[in-house]
Amino acid sequence: MTDHNAPAAAGQFEFLYNGRPVRSAVGQTLAGALHAQDEHILSRSFKYHRPRGLFCCSGRCPNCLCTVDGEPNVRICITPAAPGMKVESQNAWPSPKFDLLAVLDRLQAFMPVGFYYKRMYKPRRAWPIWERVIRQIAGLGRIDRHNSGGRYEKLNLFADVAVIGGGWAGLHAALAAADAGADVVLIDEQPELGGHLRHDPDLAQDAWAGMLRQATDHAGVRVLTSSSAFGCYEENLLGIRQGNRLIRLRANQVIVTTGGWERPLVFENNDRPGVLLASAVQRLMHLEHCRFAGAAVVVTDNAQGYRAARQLVAAGTSVAAIVDVCPGPPEFAADIPVFRGHTVVAVRGSRHVAGVEIAPLAGGPSQSIACRWLVQAVGFTPASALLYQNGCQLTYDPACDHAVVVQYARGMHSAGAVNGTHDPHAAALEGRLAGLAAAATVRPHDVSLAALLADARRRLDDWQARRATCAAQYVAESPAKKKFVCLCEDVTEQDLCDAVAEGYANIETLKRYSTVCMGPCQGKMCQAAAIALCARETGRTIADTGVTTARPPEQPVPLGLLAGRAVRLALVRRTPIHDWHERAGAQLTDAGDWKRPRVYSSVEQEYDAVRCHAGLIDASTLGKFDFRGRGAAEFFEFMYPNRFANLSVGRVRYGVLCDEAGILLDDGTISRLQDDQFFLTTTTGNAAAIDSWFRWWLAARPGLDVRMTNVSGSYAAMNLAGPRSREILQPLADIDLANAAFPYLAAARCIVAGVPAVVLRLGFVGECSYEIHVPAQFGLAVWEAVLEAGHHAGIQPFGVEAQRLLRLEKKHLLPGIDTDALSNPLEAGLPFVVRLEKPDFIGRQALERAARRGPRQMLVGFRMPDGFAPEPSSLVIHDGRPCGRVTSSGYSPAAGAAVGLAWVPAAIARNGDTIQIQVDGRLLAAVVHDAPFYDPAGDKLRS
Amino acid sequence: MSFQIECPECGCRPVGEFHFGGAVRERPEPAAGDHVWAEYVYTRPNIAGVQREWWFHRAACKQWFIASRDTRSNVMQPAQTPDSQEARG
Ligand code: FES
Ligand code: FES
Ligand SMILES: [Zn+2]
Repeated sequence: MTDHNAPAAAGQFEFLYNGRPVRSAVGQTLAGALHAQDEHILSRSFKYHRPRGLFCCSGRCPNCLCTVDGEPNVRICITPAAPGMKVESQNAWPSPKFDLLAVLDRLQAFMPVGFYYKRMYKPRRAWPIWERVIRQIAGLGRIDRHNSGGRYEKLNLFADVAVIGGGWAGLHAALAAADAGADVVLIDEQPELGGHLRHDPDLAQDAWAGMLRQATDHAGVRVLTSSSAFGCYEENLLGIRQGNRLIRLRANQVIVTTGGWERPLVFENNDRPGVLLASAVQRLMHLEHCRFAGAAVVVTDNAQGYRAARQLVAAGTSVAAIVDVCPGPPEFAADIPVFRGHTVVAVRGSRHVAGVEIAPLAGGPSQSIACRWLVQAVGFTPASALLYQNGCQLTYDPACDHAVVVQYARGMHSAGAVNGTHDPHAAALEGRLAGLAAAATVRPHDVSLAALLADARRRLDDWQARRATCAAQYVAESPAKKKFVCLCEDVTEQDLCDAVAEGYANIETLKRYSTVCMGPCQGKMCQAAAIALCARETGRTIADTGVTTARPPEQPVPLGLLAGRAVRLALVRRTPIHDWHERAGAQLTDAGDWKRPRVYSSVEQEYDAVRCHAGLIDASTLGKFDFRGRGAAEFFEFMYPNRFANLSVGRVRYGVLCDEAGILLDDGTISRLQDDQFFLTTTTGNAAAIDSWFRWWLAARPGLDVRMTNVSGSYAAMNLAGPRSREILQPLADIDLANAAFPYLAAARCIVAGVPAVVLRLGFVGECSYEIHVPAQFGLAVWEAVLEAGHHAGIQPFGVEAQRLLRLEKKHLLPGIDTDALSNPLEAGLPFVVRLEKPDFIGRQALERAARRGPRQMLVGFRMPDGFAPEPSSLVIHDGRPCGRVTSSGYSPAAGAAVGLAWVPAAIARNGDTIQIQVDGRLLAAVVHDAPFYDPAGDKLRS
Repeated sequence: MSFQIECPECGCRPVGEFHFGGAVRERPEPAAGDHVWAEYVYTRPNIAGVQREWWFHRAACKQWFIASRDTRSNVMQPAQTPDSQEARG
């Protein structure tokens, strides 16, 4: 079979299949092109390396998985061919036609169900070797680590109504909903709408083309083709894959019109290349312009089989027989012999179908029919996974031999073949009804809609035709071994019978033990048969046997799709002075969402400037809050463990926030600017959390006269520190900064460099310092003014690195770095902020208990008499055991030694105690040091 | 989790925009004793059923509000602003 039916030579090109050029045409899939070139063995099976060929042609089975351009496990039957594509078979060596491991097929007896549980667990140390061997033999494609799969992106969509599946029912649903005024998105996984109508021309009615045009032209319908809805999540959020794009569609109403996929029969050698589903044959004939050379046999229990047979004959294939499982006398349909009440029991031929064996269902001798193709049209399994996923309840209905919805989840509807409604007229009515019902929920007050809805419901009720129920038995009765239930995992009928006999009689345990339903198709091809078999073996009904749980994704999804570029692009915050830092050549570091200067020149230089002259650091990233109201002081009394009611106007106080468990959340400053006006700062990293924390307590106490405004972004802030900072700032400020007038812990509103400012006298780095807060738009101007004013005094900008060292010398802790989720202020060396004499505050009960109990571990300063600074998180060892850790460390010029902070057991936390710190496997001695390493009396910061 | 929450300020928004603040509970009296306090601080009710709980619309209006949710189905009743009920905390 080569070229007699190939499309016009115009748009032709070649791609490579296992290194060999294959001709193809625009619009053809890779599989269609290979079929046209008589390439029928496309892969080798998972376990036994049996030859496999096209089977479903709709992306629902494992048989055509190939590596395409480096991407493994691509289903080539739904992948359009493109010039130069490189297609490689998987799980076969040297080639799928001649695979050396095919010998495994003869060794089946040595690989019973669960064989690796049984054979390979002893001796234990052998398992890694076995594992490597099994991974070599079994499996799917290999991952190409150099191929990222391209770029992925995400898109959010919203709709009143989402219709999933653009077949006959879906088209009717979408149009009915859109005509009723709903905003509709119609999703179909194929490149064109139409569902089965596309490849079953006898089924397609005249109205079809018209419907398609209406749907594509309708202003109220957005059509997404080549898009597979793989998940239906809570409140109708749909996950849709469209190529490399993940679409998240939030729909008010979802109509599932996903139809179904054909169910295969289980008989001997039912996995031979040449055994196909009828819809696969129809797709290849009508969409891919392929032909089937040689004779075919069709096995069926419904009208589709007869249609497929007629279409095969029309396309030049001779149909040797129709095997109809429904009882009745033998007859001829259009010159084709029909064997009623028969089924297929075996396929002959080793690499391709050479003939079939059929037998009467009632029992009796079998007979052989020579043929090259066996076409199965024995009904559909509804594609109901999305219904299950979103919480609809389905129950097995013996009348139609599949599960039907008994209770819809909120906003869910379904219509057509997914409900078991195959008759086009009925499917159209169901679709229309679902579309109207969905639209009616979105537009509840539309009266005309209610009338239409009632009419559609009446018509559907009137339609009485029922599918003649004569379902094919899934599993042919025969003692043969190679009857495959699960094509993906090479699980046979025998395997399942053995597993049930071994006690795995529950469908969920049967699945996990035998791996049936666990392959790439996730049970699409095998679930119905596995359940039927389990029911048969356990003597239960199918309804009692149940189903395995349906979970997203319904179709395989590449991880890149989920991980791809986020819609919420990462937030980067820059301070108003950011550009200046960049111009000054600062190295930037991340602090939460912020970028902060880490260092400008060198840490040593910056350190020296602050200690000897003056330094200026951008502190705009601090959380800043404005509090007003007569209840504010009382509120802080409750929020903080220390006292605030007695804070005088014009003063600032250090405070830590704890939770109810007494755990230290954050620290910062509270300034009283007027009797009922406070200005608060928090650390950079906790600003958002503290904002929410304050708001929560305020929300819970709505009676308080407290108004809180987060002004973090509205203020720029900088800290001017160093012995010469007063002389630098004084000329710029309109208040007297003399120590007597504006001492340590003073706070004032004033003018700095012509700009209204809040100035706080603090001492985080241990020097006389002024934290200056100004409106953000003046931040840069004030920054430059201060630097300019300090030029003669040797001022330098400094970064967070120098700041960390400077504060470490003062033993000032950084919440979240020196503390963690188990640290309370009593143990963190801050007992002075905890005023248990206050009757109530957040965390009081826990802290009071902790005080009663006494400290268990302490955050202490340490000095290394010799040696270098141990890395943060180095272990503190006591009695040969790890018992603590270093949180901060560095070389302190002031101490002339490496110093740091560490959590240590209370027993060794006294001043002068020696502790052991593990550095590179060695233990180094350090001495606990209570006082700050720099200016222990605090004279400098007060001066 | 992909349900939506009706913020009293902003209307229906996806749950990812919110921060969960736990079930609404009564804070014990300061003198309630260690047992009561330990219970309040360290255990959470985690009921299967309808529960009144705190939600914070962190990605937009930054409001805390109380809403009832069925923890089995995530079906929520319309939210109330905290002002509309008695103070607690
Ligand atoms: S033949 Fe391609 S997935 Fe079944
Ligand atoms: S056939 Fe695919 S999982 Fe069984
Ligand atoms: Zn809001």
